[in-house]
Amino acid sequence: MDGNVYIPIAVLAALGFGFAAFSVVTGALTGPKRYNRAKLDAYECGIEPTPQPVGGGRVSVKYYTIAMLFIIFDIEIIFLYPWAVTFDSFGISILVEMALFIVTVFVPLIYVWRRGGLDWDH
Amino acid sequence: MIRLAASETLIPAPNIEYYELSPILIVFGVGVLAVLVEAFLPRAHRLHAQLALCLTGLVAAFVVVCTLTDEAQENARAVPQKVAAEGAVAIDGMTLFLQGTILLLGVVAVLLLAERRLGGEFAASAATVPGSAAEKETTRLGWVQTEIYPLLMFSIGGMLIFPAANDLLLMFVALEVLSLPLYLLCGLARRRRLLSQEAALKYFLLGAFSSAFFLYGIALLYGYAGSVRLSDINAAVSGSEDNDALLLIGMALLAVGLLFKVGAVPFHAWTPDVYQGAPTPVTAFMAAATKVAAFGALLRVFYVGLGGAKWDWHPMFWGVAMVTMLFGSLVALVQTDVKRMLAYSSIAHAGFILVGLVATNAEGLSATMFYLLAYGFSTIAAFAIISLVRDGSGEATHLSQWAGLGRRSPVVAGMFALLLLAFAGIPLTSGFTAKFAVFSASASAGGTPLIVVGVLSSTVAAFFYIRVIVLMFFSAPVTDGPRVAVPSLTTALAVWIGVAVTVFLGVLPQPVLDLADNASFLIS
Amino acid sequence: MSSSVSGDLILADADGTHLAQFGHDVWWIMLIKVVVIFAFLMVFTLFTIIFERRAVSWMQQRVGPNRVGPQGSLQSLADGVKLMLKEDIVPKAADKAIFVIAPVISATGAFLAFAVIPIGPEVSIFGERTVLQVTDTPVAVLFILASSSAAIYGIVLAGWSSGSTYPLLGGLRSTAQMISYELAMSLSFVAVFLYAGSMSTSEIVAAQEDLWYGIALLPSFVVYLIAMVGETNRPPFDLPEAEGELVGGFHTEYSSIKFALFFLGEYIALITVSALAVTLFLGGWMAPWPLGGPIWPGANENWFPVLWFLGKLLTLVFVFIWLRGTLPRMRYDQFMALGWKILIPVSIGWILLVATIQALRNEGYEVRNIVLVAAGVLAALLLVTWVWEVVRAKPPEDEPVAEAVEFDPFAGGYPVPPMPGQVPVLVSTPVSTPVSFSTSGQHRVEMVERGDTDA
Repeated sequence: MDGNVYIPIAVLAALGFGFAAFSVVTGALTGPKRYNRAKLDAYECGIEPTPQPVGGGRVSVKYYTIAMLFIIFDIEIIFLYPWAVTFDSFGISILVEMALFIVTVFVPLIYVWRRGGLDWDH
Repeated sequence: MIRLAASETLIPAPNIEYYELSPILIVFGVGVLAVLVEAFLPRAHRLHAQLALCLTGLVAAFVVVCTLTDEAQENARAVPQKVAAEGAVAIDGMTLFLQGTILLLGVVAVLLLAERRLGGEFAASAATVPGSAAEKETTRLGWVQTEIYPLLMFSIGGMLIFPAANDLLLMFVALEVLSLPLYLLCGLARRRRLLSQEAALKYFLLGAFSSAFFLYGIALLYGYAGSVRLSDINAAVSGSEDNDALLLIGMALLAVGLLFKVGAVPFHAWTPDVYQGAPTPVTAFMAAATKVAAFGALLRVFYVGLGGAKWDWHPMFWGVAMVTMLFGSLVALVQTDVKRMLAYSSIAHAGFILVGLVATNAEGLSATMFYLLAYGFSTIAAFAIISLVRDGSGEATHLSQWAGLGRRSPVVAGMFALLLLAFAGIPLTSGFTAKFAVFSASASAGGTPLIVVGVLSSTVAAFFYIRVIVLMFFSAPVTDGPRVAVPSLTTALAVWIGVAVTVFLGVLPQPVLDLADNASFLIS
Repeated sequence: MSSSVSGDLILADADGTHLAQFGHDVWWIMLIKVVVIFAFLMVFTLFTIIFERRAVSWMQQRVGPNRVGPQGSLQSLADGVKLMLKEDIVPKAADKAIFVIAPVISATGAFLAFAVIPIGPEVSIFGERTVLQVTDTPVAVLFILASSSAAIYGIVLAGWSSGSTYPLLGGLRSTAQMISYELAMSLSFVAVFLYAGSMSTSEIVAAQEDLWYGIALLPSFVVYLIAMVGETNRPPFDLPEAEGELVGGFHTEYSSIKFALFFLGEYIALITVSALAVTLFLGGWMAPWPLGGPIWPGANENWFPVLWFLGKLLTLVFVFIWLRGTLPRMRYDQFMALGWKILIPVSIGWILLVATIQALRNEGYEVRNIVLVAAGVLAALLLVTWVWEVVRAKPPEDEPVAEAVEFDPFAGGYPVPPMPGQVPVLVSTPVSTPVSFSTSGQHRVEMVERGDTDA
């Protein structure tokens, strides 16, 4: 197997990107242009838009918790995939090792869970 | 279905020596259990459960380390020697000696962390904004951030691997595992929280920077030797005569990463701020245990992995050792804060320990290990005493506040004086034995200039240690000065252990010196 | 990828459909396949939109679009053309470059994943033998995951670059939602890889010749079905675009063709996750049970499999539409709790169970005994969870216990729904109480509501 299994993917990507870029460019050209100050304001159902804090402002810490947990578990899953694919080539030891690993990774989830890190309603 | 016949293409599982690795595994296991304790036990019971769990774990790990040492000696070998976990971990004399030291220091640190009578050193809830209503509320409710115990255990676990790692990648992982909890712990002080958080951030940023250096060094050495295993690197270094740029730069970068952890000049800048800002028990632990682990790693990398390139790194370490000793001693002279003074003194001591390291012989190794043990216990006790001297707003760390302390509380001040004398290297304290061992090892390896600088800076250092003693005993007490608080049993125990070890190693050092001699063996 | 890397493990099967078949097409065959997939996705998107609108209106007993083309079948095409001709607004506060790039990323990423979906076996096109699949790699499923998460960037960047409150909130929500459900989704694949011994899509399809994984690994399939709805922001999990709360979510500020590109990206994502479900759990292009075997041996050869594939795909797309027609939108906290507290733990437990059974089977134990033991383990697990629930029934002492607060839905001047643990008290209201000519609570509530709408 050589590198060219990825060539079709690259061609498809180019096709998709070309289509999207073409649409955006022509869309900007074909549409009408009628300037209107209110139209260019941020949309907030008709009321004056809330001033945006400089630099994007602060984001609730819950999103960070989710992001960190995501990274932990995503890395766990990355380990699970090759483990699953080659599972049959190992003896029972690989099961024990992975069980230990999963349990260890699960401990922080339990901790966050018990401490309310997964509750969005308070 | 695509299925391979399981028996035909079985890949052999890696061989893990669980028994030899069990000190590390026990400590990490206890850390994980401690997280579960945090998750499941109600707040009221957590502290005691954590204490019991951590102390049991550390003692159990220490017992295993002792048995490992014993067994090896029964097998008619002077030292245990085994490369575990497919060659990634070296279980040799130095590993066991330093692991034992770290575990004992860990026990003392847990005792310090457990102090409750003085109102605790740690923030009631680390997540609250300093000065906020939430902070007051959690303080009023008497909350304790008991997460410090699992964090401490993970840090100790990393420290156990750090000097044992026979593989640079594992060493890097250990470095991160020991550092990350420390960064957090530094930011958890109960009083002067902003200062503490600033210290944590500084430590984190500089630590991350030095980790990057370390990692880059690994990459370059891998490029040079084609392996991250220390023995392979050694083989590559010994096999070739010419100086490869990859080797030299990689070596230097590796040294930067490790010397940062040790706190040697010119990578010392974080030490005073972090020591001052961090909660005092954490400072004590850092000053003692991190040094042990980092010097262990330094010894292993440069003795085992880069021993063949000794003439390339030797001059650099000479220079670093000299500058560190002089700088630490001189700058400590002008300090007005006790914690900062001890921070600079710890920099100077890093220099003294480096003198043992550059001897590059068995005596040097054994002297370095002995020094680490002696200094670790003295420094942990010294910081513990600092945490006892308090006024209305918490610890009184300004030197002027210590005036006349000896008249009010002669016992505590006496113990502190003893520890300072040990730092200065006065006979009949552990500091003298340690310095003597280091200097004599250096002398046998032709390091006379180093010894001259070392003795000079010892003299300078003695001046400011004795100045504190004079201040405590011979000047008039300040009005409204700090009192020595009566601590809970755990802190008292920690102080007594530290002082006892300091005296014991000064009066009867021979058994421990023998132990260090026996252990001065590295698997290459 | 060199052959030494892919190793003997992956190429060791004797079924004939292994990875060595890919990467050897003549360039024009490859080009035809790529263009056909691209066109298929475009047309199928247009079809799905009209299909959805018609099906939902059928479920809601209304007519739906029926003006443009026969039975309204050209409606979505007309909508597309209309969007193309609309004014393209870039808000003043927007970060211009990123604002423009975001929909492009979203649409481009969406196309990619379909490249590794197997649509049929080896056929002959103009005399060339080729497999009905654009390409395949040893890590094909990983590639699908990667390209579908690339689409998340489009959404995050769109929300962030709009310089407006609603899109920012929508973007954040949708990121948190997608990464949460991506975990559950990725975990549901593990059991499939374990059984198939491969991550290549064509080999996974080949491995399902005897039994579809949707049946053999039912819990994985269920988790995947839930996760795929969450991953595509479709009802009942369409919180990022919850129009009652966030107007349009991340695409509030988008108009004209840029909006259409997001729309396109979302529908392609819907088609892709359905196709992935077909591939991993429903036997791919294999004919459904009674057809494939001795009844009609030709069912799995030549071009017929495309039929089975499309049939399965359409069924799943209909399930999506059905869900939208039936279920109300979930609340955000319930939704995240479902992902983190149910789907992920269940998936991990299931993986361990499957792996244990597999390991025991490899060791040569009887399947019947394994099943018995597995049932025992399951029972034990249930017991443990029951005990856990009993223990948990007491609120944890950490959290300041929220006393049953008297909740006034009209406190802020407009009605808000109660949070968990709050009991709405309808009687006390700050709204100026009308003359109390009525004493029954029923009437008072009515008055209040009327007062509110008037204000």
